[in-house]
Amino acid sequence: MFERFTRDARTAVERAQDVARRLGADHIGAEHVLLGAVAADDTVARRALDRAGVDVAALEQAVRTLPSDALDADALAGLGIDLDAVREQVEATFGPGALDDPTGAGRSPRGHIPFDAHAKKLLEVSLREAIRFKHRRIDTGHLLLAAARLETTPAGRALTQLGLDRPSVEDAVVATWASTPV
Amino acid sequence: MSAELLTAAAGDDPAEGLRAVRSLRVLADRLEALHVERARRLGWPWQHIADALGVTRQAVHKKYGKRYP
Repeated sequence: MFERFTRDARTAVERAQDVARRLGADHIGAEHVLLGAVAADDTVARRALDRAGVDVAALEQAVRTLPSDALDADALAGLGIDLDAVREQVEATFGPGALDDPTGAGRSPRGHIPFDAHAKKLLEVSLREAIRFKHRRIDTGHLLLAAARLETTPAGRALTQLGLDRPSVEDAVVATWASTPV
Repeated sequence: MSAELLTAAAGDDPAEGLRAVRSLRVLADRLEALHVERARRLGWPWQHIADALGVTRQAVHKKYGKRYP
């Protein structure tokens, strides 16, 4: 499906991998694709975000503070479980970093990170958004629209947290397209 | 199960309780993956791993078969 992606959108998807790695994720999620789409300041998604009055740093912060599958030391402490003690015991058997990097304890730090179901769904919905607007190419604006549409994914939840609902995102993206044709 | 665990798991704030449950699940999943991988490396058949985990051989193979063949 990537043949219909503009260069920006392809770059966004590539950046999603770097974002996921930077945030310590073992999958590329919808939220990483979203951050990839707004990473460069000349993408449609980034300009739409600016237009909606939302800062990229705020978006990344919103993504970081979403409940995630990272080990939550505080929540575990609330249960009387000392995560450090568990980690120490696990590392004694499985080696340093084993508990925090279950995908292979750092064995393939440069390895390919797979897309999760939400990220795949986001790419699929971006294609549908392009069809809805009768656009032949998929750019980062369509990725942003898809993120806003998928309200229950981490990407959609991060946007909602910043007060960006689907109509306001659509207004911003459409206005951005209007100022520079796709 | 410690008294604290009972308190949090049965606490009156659903958000706290659910967050605690989620953390436990993440921790359990990670420990399971580590132990399954090690068991496979030590030559355990899927059936033994499944028995130890109290699940079916199909379930454990479906979850880990690709990762730790």
